[in-house]
Amino acid sequence: MPLRLPGSGPRISVDNDRCELYGICAMEAPDVFDLGQDGRLRFHTRLLDETTLEQAKMAARCCPMQAVVMRGDLDG
Amino acid sequence: MADGDRIVIVGAGVAGLRAAERLREQKFDGEIVLIGDEARRPYHRPMVSKALVMGTERPSDVGLSHYLPDLDVHWRLGARVTHLDTVERVVHLPGGESLWYDGLIAATGVYPRHLPGSPRHDPRVRILRTVEDSMAVRRCLNASKKPAVVIGAGLIGNEFAASMRHIGRDVTLVGHAKAPLHRFGDRVSSGIVEAHHEHRAKLAMKSEVRHWISTKDTVGLHLTNNQLLVASVVVLAIGSVPSVDWMRGSGLDISDGVLCDSKLFAEGASDVVIAGDIARWPNLRFDETPRRVEHWINAVESARHAADNLLLGHSSAVPFTPLPRAWSTLYDTRLQMCGMPSLAEDTVTLADGITGFVRDGRLVGVSCWDKPRAMLDWMAELDRRLPAPDYVPEPEPAPAAEVPTVEPALAGLSAEVPPEFESGFDAQAFEREFESEFANDIPTTAFPAQSPPTTALQAQSLPAGALPTMAIPMGR
Repeated sequence: MPLRLPGSGPRISVDNDRCELYGICAMEAPDVFDLGQDGRLRFHTRLLDETTLEQAKMAARCCPMQAVVMRGDLDG
Repeated sequence: MADGDRIVIVGAGVAGLRAAERLREQKFDGEIVLIGDEARRPYHRPMVSKALVMGTERPSDVGLSHYLPDLDVHWRLGARVTHLDTVERVVHLPGGESLWYDGLIAATGVYPRHLPGSPRHDPRVRILRTVEDSMAVRRCLNASKKPAVVIGAGLIGNEFAASMRHIGRDVTLVGHAKAPLHRFGDRVSSGIVEAHHEHRAKLAMKSEVRHWISTKDTVGLHLTNNQLLVASVVVLAIGSVPSVDWMRGSGLDISDGVLCDSKLFAEGASDVVIAGDIARWPNLRFDETPRRVEHWINAVESARHAADNLLLGHSSAVPFTPLPRAWSTLYDTRLQMCGMPSLAEDTVTLADGITGFVRDGRLVGVSCWDKPRAMLDWMAELDRRLPAPDYVPEPEPAPAAEVPTVEPALAGLSAEVPPEFESGFDAQAFEREFESEFANDIPTTAFPAQSPPTTALQAQSLPAGALPTMAIPMGR
């Protein structure tokens, strides 16, 4: 396994030009995304454990607008 | 599947990609061959009727990502499988090439339905399926300032109409239904009518094309409501048909997609699983009737499930019981749907302006018009009310559901069959064989000698095959 540099852990961002706030991600990854009552999407950018990483990947796969961008080591 | 095996995936859309990704996630380290008839890597097809046709995204922007360090797939793009042989376990490709497999995942999706009488030789009469289709429509739009016309009042028809208004083009939507998207319920339907009206898209409902007039620069359409339309481009969006021609003669049931069991294994083959739009499987969450689901998220989920099940093998595989979800954007409004509204006999209005779809007093689906937050709650509620049935792995599927109905005259005969074979190996498959044998016998009593040898052969080979005795549940 290659040396893991600080800050190279898995993290996500959302492309605001694409996101249309369907909330599918909040259903797939409730620990990562939250669609608030005000209709705004909040999310954790750093994925700390295996479960949230898997959830976030599923959210990225199912996103209708393919707006979830994942970066860093996705190997978990 | 064992290490070193080869899994062939036919269809390089979202389902094909997600199946390959799942195989690698599950540490399958054999060869994966991904065959697609388009020359492109998998891309986000929903963009074809939206951002791509509007020109707000370029083809290079809509590729699908995978979430693995290395997918390690052998791509065979621009290749269309011509034939499948499930006995030899080979797919045939153009040029006489044949490719053996240990496991096959079929995910070839659907193709837009042809409208009888439409002049498809006219370059202005188009379908919308691929990136190239959207580019062709854009070329037509650039060549003439005349309005666009779309035939079909389903999701793609409505999306295309909205896309045209977004880029400032006049558009008429022609449909023979009484209202666009009426299967989503009145609330959604009236919402979309209002939205089209507000954005000045024209609707010609309850009408069809009577005559087509192809000229050098435009297409003329004479509608049954006596309207005459002159169009720069006509898009046909009247639904779709499963792309399963390549499985003709393979012995699989391809009457409407591919008939599967609840575990997404194709009926009649122990090493073929089906994913995406072409899978016709019984979703045990609703009932035991096999149906197809043409939703994008279903392609993602069924592909992952099919890949899992192929690796587990039929005996340890688990039924696929998703809660189907779909979405669309029309103008700036989000349309969402969950469950199976098409099964419903009645609709009810739920809290927050959500439409509920009811069958036999049970909620089977919900749809909403721009209420994503409320929709999340209702989807969770639907999941609670329609739980996926607990699956108990059993060596043999429940017999009652699968035994073909027996004609009264034969009922007495077939009733004698089970005791004889029950102690044996695969009573059910044998019984089915036995019955069809009898059914065949009736018209051809003159030649009784022809059929017994084949039955004897199959009877021997069947018990050794997939289903019963060797069922050792693994994993899950």
